[in-house]
Amino acid sequence: MKRRDFFKKLGTVVAISAVAPMMSFGADEKKAKGPNELSYEKALEAITNGKGAKPSAKVHLKVPEIAENGAVVPVSVEVDSPMTEQDYVKTIHIFATKNNNSRCLAVHFTPANGKAMLATRVKLGSTQDIAAIVEMSDGTFLSASQSVKVTIGGCG
Amino acid sequence: MEKVKSLIKIKPNTYKDGEVVKVSFMVMHPMETGMRKDKKTGDIVPAEYINNVKFDYNGAVITTMNVWESLSANPVFTIYMKINGAGKLTVTFTDSKGAVNETSSKIKPKG
Amino acid sequence: MKKGTTIALSLTLLASLSFSGEQFAMSDADRAMYAEMLENNPADIMVAHGEELLSDLGGETKLAKYLGVSETELPKYIAGFPRYIEKFGMVVGLGQMLQGMMHDSKKKVLPLANSDMNDLLAYTKSIANDELINIDVNANQHMKDAYALGKITFDTKRGGRGLSCLSCHSPDVIGTILRTQPLPDLRVNNTGATWPAYRMTKSNLTTLQGRMQGCMQNALLAVIPLGSPDMVALEVYVTDKAKGQAIAIPGLKR
Repeated sequence: MKRRDFFKKLGTVVAISAVAPMMSFGADEKKAKGPNELSYEKALEAITNGKGAKPSAKVHLKVPEIAENGAVVPVSVEVDSPMTEQDYVKTIHIFATKNNNSRCLAVHFTPANGKAMLATRVKLGSTQDIAAIVEMSDGTFLSASQSVKVTIGGCG
Repeated sequence: MEKVKSLIKIKPNTYKDGEVVKVSFMVMHPMETGMRKDKKTGDIVPAEYINNVKFDYNGAVITTMNVWESLSANPVFTIYMKINGAGKLTVTFTDSKGAVNETSSKIKPKG
Repeated sequence: MKKGTTIALSLTLLASLSFSGEQFAMSDADRAMYAEMLENNPADIMVAHGEELLSDLGGETKLAKYLGVSETELPKYIAGFPRYIEKFGMVVGLGQMLQGMMHDSKKKVLPLANSDMNDLLAYTKSIANDELINIDVNANQHMKDAYALGKITFDTKRGGRGLSCLSCHSPDVIGTILRTQPLPDLRVNNTGATWPAYRMTKSNLTTLQGRMQGCMQNALLAVIPLGSPDMVALEVYVTDKAKGQAIAIPGLKR
C-alpha cells in the first residue's frame, strides 16, 4: 500500500468514527431496562409523601469523590441521634440518583441499634449524586447528597 | 439448591454487655440487575438480587433492610447494635427468586 | 480530499487530547475509604470456604506432614513459596503443591483455574498471615534458575505492542497515573504478599498468577499458562520483590 492510499483509508475510518457517537444515541433508547425502573424524584416523592426532605448537617454521608470503578463504591451514612425510644432514626434510604432503579437500600432501625449508622457498597452506572434520605421517629425527613465521579480506570 | 455462603463479623472481637458493636453481614450473591448481557451468548442475564435482610437478636427484630439490585455483587451490610445479654444474632435474607437463607452468630459479652 | 483528511485527522487528535486532559486521580481520603473496606472483604467468605476444603484434605496437620515440617513451622514455610520441592523435582507455587497433595492422598485433583482451588489456595496462604515473605531465590540452583527465568519473562517485550511487565512496573514509572491508577511499586505495595485478592471489578477472588494472565491478555501478549515453568518463575521474581513484607490474605484490589 502506498503512503497516500493509507491516509485515504485512514480518512474513511475517521469519518465513520465521527458518525458513531450519533448512532450510539439511538442505541441508548433501546438499552435494556431492569425490573425496577424508578427515578429518584418519583421515589423521593413516594417516601416522603410529597413533603420532600430537608438537607441537614446531622446526616453524615461519606462516599469517595472519585470511584476507582463503578462496580464497588463504598457508601456510609451516620446520623446524629440519641437512639432512644423517644428520638431515633427510623429509616435511612440510599439512592443512586441516576441509576435505572435509583433505590439501593433502605435500612429500618430500632433504638436497639444504639447508633444510626450503615455502610455498604453500591454499583454506579455513571457519574452521579448519591443521596441519603433519613426518616426520623418524629416523622421529619432529612437528607444529604454528594456527587461521585465514576471513572473507567486501571488495567484489566 | 446449594446454601448461599454468608458471614457475620462483630467488631471488636471482645465486648461487654451494654456496649455498641459494629456488625457486618456479608453474603456471596451475584446481585444481577437484569440489564447485563452474557459476554459469550449475548443473552440478558435475568435479574437476581437480595431483596430483604432481617437482623434478629434473641427473638427481637432489631433491624430490617429492603435491598435493590444497585448494591455491588457479594454485598456487605454494616450496622451497629447494642449488646443486651448473651444469645444469638440471626440474619435471615431472601432474594428476588424467593430463596430464603439464614446465618447466625453467638453473642457472648464478657463482663 | 487530501486537505479533508488532514482536517479530520487533526479533529480526532484534538478530541483525544481533550479526553486525556481529564486525567482523574483519587485523593488520599478516597483511598482511605477503599482501604477501610479491607475490614469487610467479601473474600473472607471465600477464605472460610477454603478452610473447609483444606480440612477435607486432612487440614493443617496433614498439610504440615505432607510438606515435612512441624505444624508450628508451617506458617513460616508457606511464607517461602514458590519453592523447590524435592518430591516434585521442580519449583512450584502453592496451587501446584496442593494439587500434589490431592493426588498423593488419592483425592480428586482440582485444576489450577478453578474457584474452589482459588479458595483453597487463599486459605492455605492465609495460614501464613502476618509472617514475612521469606522466599529464598538463592536456596538452590533450581530457585536461581527460576529467578533468572522470571526476570527475563518480566523484562522481555512481547506482543504486537512490544510491551513487557517492566513497561508499567519499572522503577522509573512508579507513581505515574495510568487510567486513574498510580502505577504501583511492587516492593512497597506488598504485591507478592497480598495475592490472592478480591478483585472488585471482577467480584471474585484472583490469584497472583491469574492476575498476571489478565494483564497479559489486556496488553495483547500471548498468555502464559498457569503453573508453567515461566509463570512460576514470574511469580518467584515478583514475590521476591515483596520479600520481608507481611502476608495479608485476602487482599482487596480494584
